[in-house]
Amino acid sequence: VTEAAEKPLRFARHPWRPQTLKLGLIPYLALQALIAVLFVLLLRQPQPEPPASFLLTAFDLREAGTERAVTLPHFTASRFAMADPPQFTTRFNRADDPLRAQSVFLPRFSNGVEIAINGVAILDSRRDPAANRPDRNTPEIAVIPASLLRDGENVLTIRLFVWGPLTGYLDRVYLGPDDLLRPAYDKRMLRFITLPIVFSAWQAILAVILTIMWVMRRHEPAYGVLAAAMALGAVQALLPTPMGPTAFSRLNAILIASAPFEGALFLTFAVLFFGWKWPRYGFLIFAPGLLLAIVGLFAGQSMVRSAFVLVGVPTVGLCLLAMSVVVAHAVLKRQDMVSLILGCAATIVLTCWISDLLAVLHVIDNGRIFVSRLSYSALLVAIGAGLTWRFARALNEVDSFASNMVTLVREAEDKLRISFAREEARAREAALAVERTRLMRDLHDGLGGQLVSIVALSERGNASPPIGEAARAALKDLRLVIDSMDDIGGDLMLALGSWRERAAAQLRSHDIALEWRTLTAQGLPVHPELRPWHVIQIVRLLDEALTNAIKHSGAQRVTVTIAMLSDATDGDTGCITIADDGSGFALPPDGAAASATAARGLRNMKSRAARCGATLELVSDAGGTRVKLVLPRRFPDGDTAAG
Amino acid sequence: MTLPGDERLTPAITVLLVEDDAPTLWRLQDALTQAGFAVTAAATLAEARASLARHAPRVLLTDLQLPDGHGSELIRETRLRCPDTEIMVISILGDEESVISAITVGATGYLLKDAFPTDIAATVHELVAGHSPISASIARYIVKRTQAHAEPAPLPVLNTARLTPREIDILWGIAKGFSYAEIAGHLGLSKQTVPGHIKSIYRKLEVHTRGEAVFEAVQQGLIKL
Repeated sequence: VTEAAEKPLRFARHPWRPQTLKLGLIPYLALQALIAVLFVLLLRQPQPEPPASFLLTAFDLREAGTERAVTLPHFTASRFAMADPPQFTTRFNRADDPLRAQSVFLPRFSNGVEIAINGVAILDSRRDPAANRPDRNTPEIAVIPASLLRDGENVLTIRLFVWGPLTGYLDRVYLGPDDLLRPAYDKRMLRFITLPIVFSAWQAILAVILTIMWVMRRHEPAYGVLAAAMALGAVQALLPTPMGPTAFSRLNAILIASAPFEGALFLTFAVLFFGWKWPRYGFLIFAPGLLLAIVGLFAGQSMVRSAFVLVGVPTVGLCLLAMSVVVAHAVLKRQDMVSLILGCAATIVLTCWISDLLAVLHVIDNGRIFVSRLSYSALLVAIGAGLTWRFARALNEVDSFASNMVTLVREAEDKLRISFAREEARAREAALAVERTRLMRDLHDGLGGQLVSIVALSERGNASPPIGEAARAALKDLRLVIDSMDDIGGDLMLALGSWRERAAAQLRSHDIALEWRTLTAQGLPVHPELRPWHVIQIVRLLDEALTNAIKHSGAQRVTVTIAMLSDATDGDTGCITIADDGSGFALPPDGAAASATAARGLRNMKSRAARCGATLELVSDAGGTRVKLVLPRRFPDGDTAAG
Repeated sequence: MTLPGDERLTPAITVLLVEDDAPTLWRLQDALTQAGFAVTAAATLAEARASLARHAPRVLLTDLQLPDGHGSELIRETRLRCPDTEIMVISILGDEESVISAITVGATGYLLKDAFPTDIAATVHELVAGHSPISASIARYIVKRTQAHAEPAPLPVLNTARLTPREIDILWGIAKGFSYAEIAGHLGLSKQTVPGHIKSIYRKLEVHTRGEAVFEAVQQGLIKL
């Protein structure tokens, strides 16, 4: 149970987890303001223009029957002038080098232009679908066929077609050598035509990816909504804007409703993505888009264009604002990189939208360069980055989960192996204990009872004391053998504890005191390799030493000392010393016979010590006998030194 | 281990000795009588019960294998009817199986059948004086049971869950052959408190009723319901 509780913590502690940003509201707003200011400065950078020496600004404007001189750039008063477009006329001299191609370059106009040299039209922008989009900032360049140019003065006529929703606009016009005008034109084309197409393609790819994600993960509708927004954006960008009344013009007109739809879908995405509760009247944000589509279907293009300005643009702004709020809230709450990137992108788009709105309202003059659509790509970049981030994170999570699982499985295996080994040892131990119990019961009921009876009978006086003594010795031996079979976990002290009781009883019967000294709290080192037969050998050896002390020394006191010999290099070894205060072997009371017995006993003890790998040291003098048994560092497995 | 001199002046301590093997009964009876105890002998469970009904002895010494039943029944009855009686088991080998099962019904330690007469008398005297002797092998058996593995089925059920860490430390000391003084020294106790701890160990190991024994066994997970 405790392990299960630990596991989530272990996952949570992983280093790959994104660090929290610790961003407050004020720092976040400051960051967004900084981004907005930076973008405003960026937008104020002038667009690429050819050398000013080729500028043509003084034109004659004929509009609604009246003629007057104007200086470009010029805004027309009306929002619709298709039947009688304003006509700008100026005169210019043919260049000195007739072989050098001359061009007319119009950096910006809305909505359409027709360029004529000496009354011959050389370009009509209405044939260029991209140029018909007022939000694309399309430039136009036209090479003047050399044959059209007369020596001396030539006439340049520009007819400006206006079909709303904005007023007509004609930026300054350049006329000069083609090779000098074209670089500026190419740069503008790259910026305002190629780049949006690239972004549209990107959008289309993202739409596919997001749709796949949504299909595979139906429980995340945010991806589906985003896919819809992307697809709509891509379709809108790649379909041509209708000019004349075509079969699909009404359907095409619906596409103008795409911007508010996209805005609403994006807002929906943000709300779902950041786990907000969907508001009850949330679907109302789709209403403006729907309204525009209906208007487009039934009322025609001019109507839908005016409706777009009135309804679509504010809706887009509103959605952007709402999205900024949602994302800001998410940044503050979740403090993660994905939200922060989205927030910055939303700020950029909002800044551009405001800039465009101010340009339309003539509050600022930036040459009517619209950047909303372009900055929309910033949002795309943000979403692409965000999704990649999430994807990489998910992969990391999977990797780390997998490696964690491997570790966990390995740990579990190890644990299992250990517990299996432990279980086996326990089973062995239990089997031994059961065997021992059975044996004990047998001995208890049979042999033990008989021996006790012999002891009792011998004490009744009708048997000689040696019989009782022998029976008692047999009982003692029986206890020793049974005791040694018990698992003592390699701690010889546990065997010595029982031996102490038996020794004390034996010595007490001979009026010899037993002094037991354990020099350290632990007593002896633990030997996991200690086996019952080692214990029997050692205890019998100690018994023999004790018997010698009782029988031959005439001692008053036997001292057993248990000590540990510390060795810096090899660790500790145990040492058991049995000392008596008797007369020693040098002066045996019974002469040579006792001496021979003692010698045999000594041989016996030495052989027992050798079998256990222990060393025996015996010192005997008039002050008593001292048997010192130094235990091995490791008890031998087999009975190697038998004999 | 010498007897107090004034022991013979006071009323003799009554001992009920239950043993079916006649020679053993005689030698134990001799040893105790010579030491001044008033010994009542019984060879069967029925005789012992009859004697208990007449008079509650100060000390009950009983063998476990009796011709008409098991000594642990007698111990349980005596604990219930004569709570002041000190009880010891007479054992041939001092083996854990018989001694532990006697302890769980209320015995305090054991007496070896071949113990020397002086030791027999001394042990009973100590018991009466309130000391509860515990042998190294019994202490070893108990502490091994505290080491939390399921015990093999044929061994008697033993509840060690209520033993305190200090009591377990004391048992370890006894199992390793340390004297009370050494144990007290190592554990930072006074020597006089060690016998009290041992008595408490005996009482904690005692299981009062059969139902309780089952309950304890279930508590320890020894029996699966």
